Amino acid sequence: MRYQDVIDISLGNLWRMKLRTLLTLLGVIIAIGAFVSMLSLGAGMQEQVSQQFEKLGLFFTIQVYPERDVDEEVSEDKPKSLLNDSALVRLSQLPGVQLAYPFDEYQTKTTINDTTIDVKAQPLSVSALHTKLFSRIETGRVFDSDSAKEVIVNKEFLDMLDIENADSILGTSIVVSIEVASFDSGLVHVFKSDGKLIWDRFKNIKFDSLANSEYRSRVLTRELGGAAGRFIDGYMNARIPVSDTLVITGVLHNSRGRSRTSSIIVPLATGRKFSAAGFSGDMTSILGGISSGSLFQASSDRITLEYSKVTLNIEPGVVHGPIRDSIKAMGFRSFSYAEEFEEIQTVFTYFNMGLAVMGMIALFVSSLGIVNTMLMSITERRREIGIMKSLGADESEIKVLFLVESGIIGTIGSLLGILLGWTVSRVISMVVQAYMKEQGADPIELFSLPLWLIGASIALGLAVSLIAGYLPAARAAKIDPVQALRYE
Amino acid sequence: MPSPVLKATDLCRTFQRGPQVIQAVKDVNLEIAKGEFAGLVGASGSGKSTLLNLLAGLDSPTSGEIKVNGTSLDSLTRKELSSYRANQIGMIFQTFNLLPHRTALENVEMALYFTGISKAERRKKSISALERLGLEDRLDHLPNSLSGGEQQRVAVARAVVKEPEIIFADEPTGNLDKDNAHQIVELLAELNRNNLTIVLVTHDENLAVKYADNIYRMDFGLLAANGGRIRE
Repeated sequence: MRYQDVIDISLGNLWRMKLRTLLTLLGVIIAIGAFVSMLSLGAGMQEQVSQQFEKLGLFFTIQVYPERDVDEEVSEDKPKSLLNDSALVRLSQLPGVQLAYPFDEYQTKTTINDTTIDVKAQPLSVSALHTKLFSRIETGRVFDSDSAKEVIVNKEFLDMLDIENADSILGTSIVVSIEVASFDSGLVHVFKSDGKLIWDRFKNIKFDSLANSEYRSRVLTRELGGAAGRFIDGYMNARIPVSDTLVITGVLHNSRGRSRTSSIIVPLATGRKFSAAGFSGDMTSILGGISSGSLFQASSDRITLEYSKVTLNIEPGVVHGPIRDSIKAMGFRSFSYAEEFEEIQTVFTYFNMGLAVMGMIALFVSSLGIVNTMLMSITERRREIGIMKSLGADESEIKVLFLVESGIIGTIGSLLGILLGWTVSRVISMVVQAYMKEQGADPIELFSLPLWLIGASIALGLAVSLIAGYLPAARAAKIDPVQALRYE
Repeated sequence: MPSPVLKATDLCRTFQRGPQVIQAVKDVNLEIAKGEFAGLVGASGSGKSTLLNLLAGLDSPTSGEIKVNGTSLDSLTRKELSSYRANQIGMIFQTFNLLPHRTALENVEMALYFTGISKAERRKKSISALERLGLEDRLDHLPNSLSGGEQQRVAVARAVVKEPEIIFADEPTGNLDKDNAHQIVELLAELNRNNLTIVLVTHDENLAVKYADNIYRMDFGLLAANGGRIRE
């Protein structure tokens, strides 16, 4: 029997039983539709993450952090490695590292058009700004040079000022200032406070009673505590302002998580002017200075200060593992997005498997429909099978005929199911995107229908229908023609 | 006597009906020559249809042997046996056994599906067969819109379209009136005159006597004495 004849006969038989075929098809369509829409959600989310990683160049990024004190591997006798400029140089020299730049954020007061707001600033080199991590410039451009009197702001900065049109802010000058505390201002307060010099305070001490240990202890506690308090008061309150006027050249999209940027980004050399001037008055900086032991160091000797984070740009194709090993050997912690992505992929694999199992359950139910349809068809066509056998049809031809019928149901059901799944995912996607837009978020595409999913759905639909049709087909093939010809 | 196209030797067919064993065909020895018009007669339940099914390869004997042109059907593979039915024999049934949802032309074409010929040739041969049987204006008719005689003529066309060596007709006149019955048997006789071997099963002995070269009588599964041959 020719293949074309088998298909013609099978299609004719299915067409003859329109309603039953349609209902069976519907089962397959819904099952495949559910399978496709669920897996396209998984694929879409996976693609979304992958695209974000790709867009931000995260596959080529490793972030380096100072070792935490609580980390078990930091031994007592080994000095803690400082993530400072000298470490930065060593990190940039690691094989496979294209660029290393620090995250050195500090609090500023920024004045624009008579409005002053507190924002965090981050100095960055032009080369760092050209990495994908900072490539999401909404409008404008990056700095001309590392010493340019220019600044890039992010959308968060515009939101603080209620500016909606990012273009309107380009070319605007802003005054960026920090008030730095110094050792001198603290010391002055130790010797002079509330208009009184320290020797005025000495007059109140009964020197002849100092022999009494209780009095001596009380006086020392009061005076030393007072001196420390006056130092901190002076250090924090008598700060020196350092400011600069910069022109806004670009507006950057907001980023979150580990790739977060500060509200304003200043050129590296220009920004160093602020950080070299001393500590800003915020508690985080002061506590950081205390913990690193650099609080009272000369502000120009900032090379010994620690960065909270250094970002490494890795050459494409370079394996991150050895670089991370070197970073660990240098005494730092590291975070690789590429390796993190592998873990995310594993999570997605389990997620997709869960969705696939649900889809498979639906397919299993629909396969019962196919079995039922084929069994009913065989009962009704018993005589026809007998006639065909008397005309010379072989068992295998009868079997193929029924398998092709169930295969056609599976194939058409799969194709229409894919269409249904795609339609459902489009509708959900449109609703979600509209909601996200309304909430002011960037709309993302939740679903994706990759070619492999189309192929897998057709293959699965066909396989399930053939498996479901096999038993009835085998039964049809075994029908005794003599009995079948007598069948009414 | 010409060489036998069909030869049955010690043919037996038994059926198990619960505890009861029914011997439908008992030790039948039979030879049908090429070009012979053989009439197989007997009462209902005498085993003539069972014998016909065995000769047509639709059923397998419990014991004994059937040879077609010297080849034992028992030695054929399942596929070869199907090919024997597809190419060497044609069958006509009492109830016509036409596919009700297919037209006259499609029913005739169905016989050629298993011979492997092209669609165009299949169609051409089928139309020609129906035209020879005077059904040229009934090609697109469904069986239920044809008379009994016409349906049986379509069945005959289906049997002859593949140009078989032997035609097995199982009570082809059983559902027809006298005129149509004679017409159908006349058609078979005409085919026989063109050297086609015909095995006609009928309970109508007069019909067999009128047209058959040899008549074989079945009685309770046994072929009558002297090989069952009544007339030479």
